[in-house]
Amino acid sequence: MHTTVRPLVFVFTVSLSLLPAAALAQAQPSAVRAYDTLPDWSGAWSMVGGTVFDRATQTGQGGATAAGVRSHPPYNAEWEAIYKSHLERRDKNLFPDTISNCGVPAGFPRHFNLPDPYEFVVRPEQVWVLTENGPNVLRIYTDGRKHLEDQWATYTGDSVGHWEGDTLVFTTVALKGYRDKDVILDRTGLVLSDQSRATTRIRKTDPKTIQVQMTIEDPKALTKPWVVTKQFTKMPEGTRVYDYGCAENNRNPADIDTGKTLVIGPDGKPLNKE
Amino acid sequence: MRTHALLGALAFAALLAAGAPVTAHHSGAGFNSDKVIELTGTIKEFQFTNPHTWIQIIVEDDKGAKVEWSVEWGSPNSLGRQGIRPSTFPPGAKVTMRLRPMINGAPAGGFVGAKFEDGRTVGRWE
Repeated sequence: MHTTVRPLVFVFTVSLSLLPAAALAQAQPSAVRAYDTLPDWSGAWSMVGGTVFDRATQTGQGGATAAGVRSHPPYNAEWEAIYKSHLERRDKNLFPDTISNCGVPAGFPRHFNLPDPYEFVVRPEQVWVLTENGPNVLRIYTDGRKHLEDQWATYTGDSVGHWEGDTLVFTTVALKGYRDKDVILDRTGLVLSDQSRATTRIRKTDPKTIQVQMTIEDPKALTKPWVVTKQFTKMPEGTRVYDYGCAENNRNPADIDTGKTLVIGPDGKPLNKE
Repeated sequence: MRTHALLGALAFAALLAAGAPVTAHHSGAGFNSDKVIELTGTIKEFQFTNPHTWIQIIVEDDKGAKVEWSVEWGSPNSLGRQGIRPSTFPPGAKVTMRLRPMINGAPAGGFVGAKFEDGRTVGRWE
């Protein structure tokens, strides 16, 4: 066994020595908490309330399709107009959900606004927030690394953070937002710009509740920071989490011409094209 | 075929309480949220697939023609966690089903509840 492993170790060591110094520096962990000192967030968790982004202001049933059950984020005039145009299209079933055609991540901060189970996987050097719906993965680096200065924008962005006691604090940057019109926050058509970023605090407030508080800044779309709190409740012990093969049998794609959500009949043709 | 609208309080209560939502993946805007209809037919297939399950049921219309209805329900994952299985709607079973019909009258809708010939019920059936 040893005779097999030693040459591999040698090759790996030599390979590392050839890496640029900057790359090595990024890989060096620092301030990593020992596993047995980290909080226990194991199990499956479910978001409390409907998929309306600002749950704190939800006052009625109906979630995203009911008028007046959520507050506006502090949009400036330009983005308020964008949002109102989305609401008008939503009312005509012409504002497509970006994830209806399967294949793109929900993105941040919608990552914390999904149905179906969540898992919060706590490791010393990273925390992973996994969602069955999608599926989606949010990776939060806690090994001391910093955001890249030249990080390109993605759906979920780049998240780095640290622990303050049993509270995980992290920043998320490099978000696409609504730049390419394929990231929304909820089905009311709530959107943010590619200048959005967030500082998020996650903590367990009691054995059955995880709280996620996001302070969202967006100098292009918002007039001031927007604070949103989401709650997640623990599902029964032993809850299983499954595949979410969105493309397996998606009979509700969005019409690429109109944005209308279609219902596909047994013959493969839409029942509500017109 | 037997179809009739159950309007008013019954329909509203059913909407609020109907099992797993079918709107987890999309808006559900094609269905009439103010109306529940009831129809009786024979199960053709239960598509226990993501992102949503679909119950295909053959129903005779008023002229005796057989029409295939598509009834959408929750994700197989969420339903599976509630005890629903692919065998819950076996092909050939006779069933009476309540659903929120499509706004445009097409033979499809959102599942509310079902009752089999032996009296067994699935979903909301009060």
